[in-house]
Amino acid sequence: METFLIVGGALLFIFIVLYNTLISKKNQVDNIFAGLDAVLKKRYDLIPNLVATLKEYMLHEAGTLEKITSLRSQALQPSLNAHEKMALDKELSSALGSLMVTVENYPILKANENFLHLQHTLHEVEEQISAARRAYNQSVTDYNNALEMFPTNVLAGFMRLEKKEVLRIDVAERENVNVKNLFR
Amino acid sequence: MATLSSLLEYYYETMQEALFPLEEERKRIVKKLQTVALFMSVGAVVFFTVLHQQMHFALLQAALLSAMSGFLIFMFVYRHEKAGFTALFKDQVIEKLLYQIDASLLYRKESAIDEEAYRRSELFLEDYDRFEGSDLVSGSIAKVDVRFSFLHTQQKERDSKGRERWDTIFQGLFFCADFNKAFKSKTVVLPDTAERTLGVLGTWFQRMNVARGSLMKLDHAEFEKIFVVYGDDPIESRYILSHALMEKIVLLQRKINRRIYLSFVASRIYIAIAYTKSLFEPILTRSLLEFSYIKEYFQLLNTVIGIVEELKLNEKLWSKR
Repeated sequence: METFLIVGGALLFIFIVLYNTLISKKNQVDNIFAGLDAVLKKRYDLIPNLVATLKEYMLHEAGTLEKITSLRSQALQPSLNAHEKMALDKELSSALGSLMVTVENYPILKANENFLHLQHTLHEVEEQISAARRAYNQSVTDYNNALEMFPTNVLAGFMRLEKKEVLRIDVAERENVNVKNLFR
Repeated sequence: MATLSSLLEYYYETMQEALFPLEEERKRIVKKLQTVALFMSVGAVVFFTVLHQQMHFALLQAALLSAMSGFLIFMFVYRHEKAGFTALFKDQVIEKLLYQIDASLLYRKESAIDEEAYRRSELFLEDYDRFEGSDLVSGSIAKVDVRFSFLHTQQKERDSKGRERWDTIFQGLFFCADFNKAFKSKTVVLPDTAERTLGVLGTWFQRMNVARGSLMKLDHAEFEKIFVVYGDDPIESRYILSHALMEKIVLLQRKINRRIYLSFVASRIYIAIAYTKSLFEPILTRSLLEFSYIKEYFQLLNTVIGIVEELKLNEKLWSKR
């Protein structure tokens, strides 16, 4: 009877530890996703100001500016799931990226204090977004590892936990913001 | 930043001549110490004979007592002479070399990084019983506020027989500067010995280190091999440790080739580089007229001052301007 209790107790303990490990990894992914969402929000908040400033100067880029504004409003819809959010964010990133390249053709903007401030803030937010994506990917990898590795995989099967997808990080994003380039 | 060729020119054109009197002083001290050593050796032999023959001390006791007395008197003279020479050396060599590298920097030979900065860095969590330091360099390098000095912290321990022992917690260069990004959390980067020696088991031990915060796995293989990272915010730790910075830290580690500890606390960076000896102190047996000897101090100062450029701490992001 005593042996049975000891074995039963040990098994229960192992079960609790494994269960808690899986739950904490799952929550960690959600927490970091919330962090990522918060920095993405920071970028969305910058867009109206940026668009308003650029509209005056970049008359030929009205299409791009409109696209950015519409992507922002789509991304702010509360009904979006994580995948849709990330897809929209990717599209927005590339639209903003090409907009910043076009800005090079408008030297007058380089003298606009307001624009320069927005541009720098945007770069800083992008650094934060990149950091949040890397943190998210690491937490997803940890979670997915737990789902595949023994013995957590057995319990994960019972709990019907599903693998999550990591975000693809472009090589350009891995690089640090080159502040020197901003002042050229 | 000064180059080696500019130092070479400065050394032979200006510095060497000014070092002649100091070199004479060094020779005088070495000669004095040699004489004291000779006298003490003779004295110890005489003392030993008196102890053993006249006072009937046992052979081993007499030998130990006489050798110890001779040695202690020699050390007393040595320390006294060395302290005086060190002060002169620092004024005439270290301060001038520093001036040559960056004239705007301030050097105070008797000051050091304060205890508060050392504690705030959270690089070494052990309680210390002795906090010593010297050779504080402070100022602005490429508009970055920088301070560094030699530090030695020790802990008093007692062995199984109750004998007192001083264990070193950290000895070497302690550097702190403004970091180029604003952040609120804490990130600590330490040399990774556990994972390198124990593999997966080492990682498990590192995870258990609750005093340090959460273990961070970073996406830079080379960096991960050399360092272990703890932090309290996974996003901010990665914001600080961008790929570019991790790359630069790896290069700095390779260049210095010593144990490097880094921490990022309240928008400041702290770097501790471990050495097994005192820095910026003269070696009495080496001539000041040898360029290679002076070059070693120059290179040490140059490397530390170069950290700002090396880690691009001067390229500040918007919110830090």
